[in-house]
Amino acid sequence: MSGAWLLRRLFTVVYTMLVVSLLVFAITQVLPADAAVTLLGENATPAALAAVRLRLGLNDPAWRQYVHWLLHLAHGDLGVSMRTGQPVAPTMLTALGRSLLLAGLSLGFMLLIAVPLGVLAALRRGRPIDLLVGLLSYLGVSVPEFVTATLLLIVLADHLQWLPATGYVAPSENLVGSLQHLVLPVLTISLILVAHVSRMVRSETIDILHSDYVRAARLKGLPPRTVLLRHTLRNALLPVITIVALDVGYLLGGIIVVEEIFAIPGIGRELFVAITARDLPTVQAGALIMAGTYAVANTLADIAYALLDPRIRYD
Amino acid sequence: MNHPTRRALLAGTAGAALQPQRVFAQATPSQVGAGTPRRGGTLRVSVDQAASVLNPLLTRVNPEYLVSELLYSGLTRLRPDMTAEPDLAESWTANDTLTEWTFRLRDNLRFHDSSPCTAKDVAATFTAILDPKTASPARTNVGPIKEVVAQDDRTALFRLSAPYADMPAALAYTNARIIPAAIATGDLSRLSREAVGTGPFKLVSFEPDRRVIVARNEAFYDPARPYLDRVEVLVYPDPTAQSSALISGDIDLIAGAGQSEYQRLSTAHGVAALRVASGQFLNINMGCQQPPFSDISVRRALAMTVDRTAMAGFVAQGYGTPGNDVPVNAAYHFFKPVPQKQSDIAAAKKLLAEAGFPNGIDLTLIASDTPGSRTQLAIAVREMAKPAGFRIQVQTMPHATYLDQVWKKGNFYVGFYNMQATADAIFSLLYTSTAAWNETHWNNADFDAAVNAARVTTDEAMRRDLYGRAQQLMYDDVPSVIPTFFDLLAARRDYMQGYVLHPRGAVFRLDLVWLGPGAPTRG
Amino acid sequence: MTDTLHRLLRTPQGMLGLVLLFVLLLACVFGPTLAPYDPDAIDFLGRFAVPGARHILGADQLGRDVFSRLLAGARATVPLALAATLLGAAAGAVIGTLSAYLGGLWDEAIMRTVDAVMAIPGLLLALLLVSTFGGGALNAALAIGIAFAPGMARVTRSVALTARQADYVSAAIARGESGGWIVLREMLPNVAAPVIIEATIRVAFAVMLFSTLSFLGLGAQPPLAEWGLMVSEARPFLHQAPWVIVVPCCAIALTAVSFNLLGDGLRDALNPRDEQ
Repeated sequence: MSGAWLLRRLFTVVYTMLVVSLLVFAITQVLPADAAVTLLGENATPAALAAVRLRLGLNDPAWRQYVHWLLHLAHGDLGVSMRTGQPVAPTMLTALGRSLLLAGLSLGFMLLIAVPLGVLAALRRGRPIDLLVGLLSYLGVSVPEFVTATLLLIVLADHLQWLPATGYVAPSENLVGSLQHLVLPVLTISLILVAHVSRMVRSETIDILHSDYVRAARLKGLPPRTVLLRHTLRNALLPVITIVALDVGYLLGGIIVVEEIFAIPGIGRELFVAITARDLPTVQAGALIMAGTYAVANTLADIAYALLDPRIRYD
Repeated sequence: MNHPTRRALLAGTAGAALQPQRVFAQATPSQVGAGTPRRGGTLRVSVDQAASVLNPLLTRVNPEYLVSELLYSGLTRLRPDMTAEPDLAESWTANDTLTEWTFRLRDNLRFHDSSPCTAKDVAATFTAILDPKTASPARTNVGPIKEVVAQDDRTALFRLSAPYADMPAALAYTNARIIPAAIATGDLSRLSREAVGTGPFKLVSFEPDRRVIVARNEAFYDPARPYLDRVEVLVYPDPTAQSSALISGDIDLIAGAGQSEYQRLSTAHGVAALRVASGQFLNINMGCQQPPFSDISVRRALAMTVDRTAMAGFVAQGYGTPGNDVPVNAAYHFFKPVPQKQSDIAAAKKLLAEAGFPNGIDLTLIASDTPGSRTQLAIAVREMAKPAGFRIQVQTMPHATYLDQVWKKGNFYVGFYNMQATADAIFSLLYTSTAAWNETHWNNADFDAAVNAARVTTDEAMRRDLYGRAQQLMYDDVPSVIPTFFDLLAARRDYMQGYVLHPRGAVFRLDLVWLGPGAPTRG
Repeated sequence: MTDTLHRLLRTPQGMLGLVLLFVLLLACVFGPTLAPYDPDAIDFLGRFAVPGARHILGADQLGRDVFSRLLAGARATVPLALAATLLGAAAGAVIGTLSAYLGGLWDEAIMRTVDAVMAIPGLLLALLLVSTFGGGALNAALAIGIAFAPGMARVTRSVALTARQADYVSAAIARGESGGWIVLREMLPNVAAPVIIEATIRVAFAVMLFSTLSFLGLGAQPPLAEWGLMVSEARPFLHQAPWVIVVPCCAIALTAVSFNLLGDGLRDALNPRDEQ
């Protein structure tokens, strides 16, 4: 990878964030009922609304509000929540941490399950286990997160009572309890990932197993396990990265639903609450974080690609 | 005309006239003070939404009321029987015409920052409350105050623009809590991040979406209270998680339990489920100043289609009482029992035809999405009224949009109201011509006259008669259809003592709570 | 066309997908007539009825028959998901083709912006748009359509680019065929295939997004019998009446699965050389 390439990617990321912030800002300007109305509720009087709007800077023309926000952003200041009056940056960072915990656990769980499943399905191609994995994949990509979550809740939390239903416990407070509360959300998110990745791993493994390279290795007399491990797995990881990078966008959306259902105070939940409350600074911050995550994830994936496959070069 | 002689309305006897009948007993036999209160311990309370607003003058939802009650005090506060008891004020008197009320503060009151709390702070607080720019919900709910004067350090004189008999109860309003004069006249926004009050607890940490922690105020005016060392208010947005936490002992009190969880809570081990009938209700507001609802027959016809017992089942899951289109029920002191209205589809259809709609009428009923029972009510009414010829289309919308575009402007929408301290409060809030939220525009002169007359006298019998007349007018005229009242539900661990579920819904009195044997020790 | 259909039916996915979609179509068209009860009829005494003789799939919290609502829900979900996808495909096609046609810096600029918009998760963009338009089934469909446009633009553009440079196009130009003829007879059939496959799979995604929006309270509004909305309304009663939730969940899954199957089948049918 050359420096020029990295620089171009950086430029793309910045451009992406800019476009996203502009788009989100434009949309939020058109939202009916602004933060003043939601804050004051039934006690709004024209005088009070005017006062609140002045305080929140809602009377300024849109472009000025945006420029204001950009300037503050340049100083690392994400503003103050219109709903709670608390600074946005610390709140969102803490929330992001929780979402990353959830995402990280889901990714880890996915890798543990999806790669072996995909390889297994490839090795036993056409047999019942392959069809079963195929069926699981289909369901995984066709079932919305809220359906998976609700069904898991009904079976595991309500009926069998194996796990707590919803809620979030910080790992620092109670590690076991924290993990218990995270099982269901992690399962929900992993399902889609497992579905995609196992399918990809399967088809990649099939290709590799039939490739000249592996056939030559087999002819040489290398034990099958070595062949499998050394050659197949390594090349199968490439599509995993592709899928994860492609899925990041989808997952970020899914996190909104999962955090809402399981009452996890992560970035998705903050965004959802902020949109309802017309809390513009928080909505902006949340959208930026999500877009930024997507852009960075894609860049990381490309870098990982280049590192894993020496044939790929970026100039 | 009634001219009461000048009486000393001392604390305690002021409420002698206002003893309501208790309708539903607490679901649990353990009452206040089973044993001697023990000092110490941390109480964990769960609420179902964020307590975003810390400023007591601006609080709007139950979690916020709960927190501001811990941190701030008002001049008076409400007992569970809806009478006023002293809080910061130790006694009060009124003049003959009930246009001037004098409140005497306790001695040596201090704010959390050790500055003294005097009548000057009271005056400044109410000036801020009455300022429209502050947008305090208390503005129209603390009585017709013209000005508040600090006669000396411990005496606050309230000059009213009209006679008002319910002043002590009115000053117990959730947002009428005393803040320092310096802040009231200066930067009110300070109170969105810090708490400078006279309440039984002081603020330790404030994470609105997750947890608020308060600790005992050692300088509280009553050295015996509070019994607890600390209170942690935890936000549990999901009702299932909330009940699970209570059952497992992670929390000690669910301030507002969900209807769907109540069954589970009442049978859980170590848990006492609480329930009290309250005046909280849902209604269908009809704009009486324009067709079709300007015609009383149309309103009566709609009212006749509603099966009120079934409605209590639908929207309150059985945890409610049927309503008769009057916003007061047995939980209020001056409630007048009336015959329960039954549904009569045939009569409704006939009435509608007489009103000029023989082929039925098309209407759009708007319901905001919060709380969800609004939509349930709308759908149920739609189905119940269909056979009589009402073709109702239900339109739901986000609460913010509803507030912006429909509330007080629309002519057919679902309303939701908490219980108020007095009958006058609810009537004057919603149904008199000068009501702050005159949503129905009913503007009935007889009703106004009755309510106005009852407001200016302390004669119990006369008030009862007048309020009875007011209720009968609403029963007959139906400015809005009120099909059901809700019971309030809560649950506590059995080692938690001293808690009484307050029908007002916004009053918690956690300074009277103590932890008995069996309570976990928490850091 | 018939040739494609034959190939489609020969693949197991295509076969299954078409069968399921046919059932869905029946539900959409004949649902209301087949329903044993009025989907909106409430019944106080029949609340939470367990699946049985009176109510095949039970009754919900207002006593409404779940099976009838299931059938009514097909009509509430599927046509709008299709409409949203069509809208997204149309809008995307315009943008994508335009970008491919313009080429050069314009193409670069348009595509970079499209990529930037795609950095916003689809659900989030739909959420923002729906909050702006106001809730409701139509607005949700519109929002989803707009959210789909960038993705469809990308697909259309890459397809249009390849098509423009394809041999058959050069041959047609060499033959002296007119521009319009080239586009219609040479490019379109080859462009259509990948777009149709992508669109079919997107319908599955639209069904999922639509029901998710309704679940979050921003899509279809009560008393509509939309499946996502049914799940959300029944959530507080999870413990008492799980069937009210499970039934619409299965319906949503089945619908999305059938469109995915069809999409996969089409991919095989239209590109017989490609391996699975």
